[in-house]
Amino acid sequence: MSASTAGASVWLTSARASQREEGPAPTDYVDPASLRPKPEVRVMATFLEFPRPYWLGWPGTAYDLDARQAEFRAALEQSAQKLGIQAYLEPRPINNEGDVRQWIQKVKGEKPHAVLVILQHFGTWGWASLVGKEAGVPVIIFSPIGMAFTGHVAGPARMAGVHVISSLEWSAVENALRAVRAKRMFEETRVLWIRGNEHSETVVERLGTKVRAIPRDTFNQEFDRQPVTEEVRELAAQLRKNAHDIVEPNQEDALNAMRTYVTAKRLLAREEAHALSMDCLGMVEAKLVPTPPCAGWTFLQDQGITAGCEADLYGALSLMLTSYFLDRPGFMNDPVPETVHNTLIAAHCTSGTRIAGFDKPPAPYVLRNHSESAIGVAMQVLWPEGEPITLVRFTGPHELIVDTGKVVGNVPTPPAGGCRTSVEIAMDEVEDCRDVRGFHQVVTLGNHRAALRAFCDLYGIKMTRSPRFSTFEGGAA
Amino acid sequence: MRGRNLGTLQVASSLAWAICVFLAGVELTGQEVEFSSPGLPPSKMDAAGRLVEDWGSVELQVDGSTLAEASPKVFPTMLDDCIPAALAQVDRGPIRVTWFAYRAPIFPSGVDVLTVRLEAAGRDPVPAWVKLRLSAEAKMALTTARIGNRVVLSVPLETFAHVQTRDWGYVNETTAMPGWAKPEGPADPAYANIRAGMGGVPILYRFRVEPGSQAVVILGVCESHYDRAGIRPVLYEVEGARPEVVDPIARWGRHRPGALPFRARDVNGDGQIEVAARPLPAARDRNPILNVIWVFQGNKIPTLPRLISGEVSQTAWRYVDVGGQNDQSFYLGGPLEFPVMVPATGSRQLTFLVACPGSSAPVPESTAWTADSLRQAARDVWLAWRR
Repeated sequence: MSASTAGASVWLTSARASQREEGPAPTDYVDPASLRPKPEVRVMATFLEFPRPYWLGWPGTAYDLDARQAEFRAALEQSAQKLGIQAYLEPRPINNEGDVRQWIQKVKGEKPHAVLVILQHFGTWGWASLVGKEAGVPVIIFSPIGMAFTGHVAGPARMAGVHVISSLEWSAVENALRAVRAKRMFEETRVLWIRGNEHSETVVERLGTKVRAIPRDTFNQEFDRQPVTEEVRELAAQLRKNAHDIVEPNQEDALNAMRTYVTAKRLLAREEAHALSMDCLGMVEAKLVPTPPCAGWTFLQDQGITAGCEADLYGALSLMLTSYFLDRPGFMNDPVPETVHNTLIAAHCTSGTRIAGFDKPPAPYVLRNHSESAIGVAMQVLWPEGEPITLVRFTGPHELIVDTGKVVGNVPTPPAGGCRTSVEIAMDEVEDCRDVRGFHQVVTLGNHRAALRAFCDLYGIKMTRSPRFSTFEGGAA
Repeated sequence: MRGRNLGTLQVASSLAWAICVFLAGVELTGQEVEFSSPGLPPSKMDAAGRLVEDWGSVELQVDGSTLAEASPKVFPTMLDDCIPAALAQVDRGPIRVTWFAYRAPIFPSGVDVLTVRLEAAGRDPVPAWVKLRLSAEAKMALTTARIGNRVVLSVPLETFAHVQTRDWGYVNETTAMPGWAKPEGPADPAYANIRAGMGGVPILYRFRVEPGSQAVVILGVCESHYDRAGIRPVLYEVEGARPEVVDPIARWGRHRPGALPFRARDVNGDGQIEVAARPLPAARDRNPILNVIWVFQGNKIPTLPRLISGEVSQTAWRYVDVGGQNDQSFYLGGPLEFPVMVPATGSRQLTFLVACPGSSAPVPESTAWTADSLRQAARDVWLAWRR
């Protein structure tokens, strides 16, 4: 081995060893808010208009450029403040190709995380396309009504990394800015991948999320070190007090469940990580812990910390999407077809409760044990019947399956087997429930198809869906 | 050897060429250098500068009539002050050739990034051929070398920016399928052949034109696999024209040759018109197909039935039998051979991705990784790991 790599190996080993010794003590409080990434987000913006005064040609002479631009300027400022991002809007509109090219150079130099161009004449689409092609960063094109026909939009809307909004709805622009912020959160996230016996760190393509693999035993060893602290006691009391009903778990189960939560926070802080996904079933199967982590994971999810099951990395990334982009926890699940009702049952044990949003009241839950092992605490979260939902699943870094539906019920266990939270969903535009694509999809409350389009457009992700028409037509082969 | 400045940071212009050679006191010649990324098994560069992996090795060969013969020196180095790497360097008369390799920690198993830099110090440009030789039998294509299903080496599309080009041709790797289509009725013979973007890969062509100029581009399509509509719609794009989604079965029927005219313009002024057949994400079959391309200068569109029948193909400025006999790559050279003109007192840099132990290199047509983002990933991981 060369001098250089020998040096690196020594350095690696010592780095890991010292890291293990650091981090919060089992009695330390870790603020969950400190675990959610808070990235810097910079967006450059400009108006594109034709030389004034306007005469014929859309938006027309009657269009009050100064008034509309003042409104958009104020709206952008407000959105930026709300989202915690930095938006730099050019003080004057750009009105010729030379200045567009100059602005593109400025963008290339300053490397913002995205740009926003606000069109103020239907003749500016060529310039907008130029920005889309040359800027080298994601581009949001906002074309208020009166600036485009379908022909204008068709080309740019299909460009990779470009999201076109042809509307008067500023909320769509804010949604796109939210997508930029979410992507930055993905980039700033280190997810702990707790499985096997490896120590490594890699980066997920396109999303930029860091994956730190640590041995599975790390978690149960840290759990063993975790005493019942005041925090654990309070959270266990809260868990029981807020339950709509308690079926199996006793006080000790609740304490152990909250020890998993506190252990996870501590581990995340120690590893400078923001999310985790663990081979939980393997750990339960090996009887290494007295409780699966389900209830602890629910707590983390409710606080915006992604906690995924079964070391399914893309499942965790799908959970992260609802957390970072939609500001609500998702519910990673096993998809079960209900062929009599032609519905989908989304079943698992780790649903968040703040499914309407982190700042909204939680959904009711029943304290149950983990049904597969009949130990510990898993919550049956009761999803609101009649409400729309969205199913998302990254199949990899390049594709996101997005389906929508409506909650039609919560399936009790028993009589059903499987998992404690079992949400029955009538799918939209999927003729046969057996055709629903994906596994460990993430269900989230609300119909977010249009919002997710922005994220996929800006980051070159194919947005796909389950087949509209039955692939089972005609019966058995 | 000129200018090997140990202990200093070498900063070059284009791609953050920041290499800190920190070898004071270390023997420089005849050694092999291992490198890796946190937690991943190492690769090595041997004393001859070959990159040695679990599947075989990659040898760099740089040819040119004006180049002198010399052997490289191999030594360990640190990129960006934090990424362990192996570096080889040799002066070949009018150019200096430097290549280095580091591990990019891409999920799940990483990939080795091999960068070759040619620098000319003199006042004249220097023509050179960069060739990669693999020790193992691999199936070569434009952008990949595969052993079985494993991509052992891939050529990022950005690397081709430095490679000399032809006047027209395809710019990425898709599958040529001669005789795939069965055109019925009067049809140009080129309709029988296609390229298919298997696995949802777009089919991309480029045509050199006067910067900013206009042209008429007509795409010929004939679907012979499906017999019902709604399965394989394809998005056809020509630079400067409105894109069109076409379901060939719905529009013309099975085995029926069709033609799509576009008024093209070199919108970005780079002297090239781009043509693409892309998959639609929601399509049942996401493998786009394309049979023929005609390019006519000016803006007059020929009569389509005559065009389809092949009567005017020879009058076209460019006539491409896609996937057929006159099809060609946009780039000169062959698989893993890259003709490069090194500008006077300038440089050219080519990057390659090499499968490291346990990994497969990303496929250029579908990956989002770039030379910059790979380097950034390595930097991020090493800095965090160190912390």
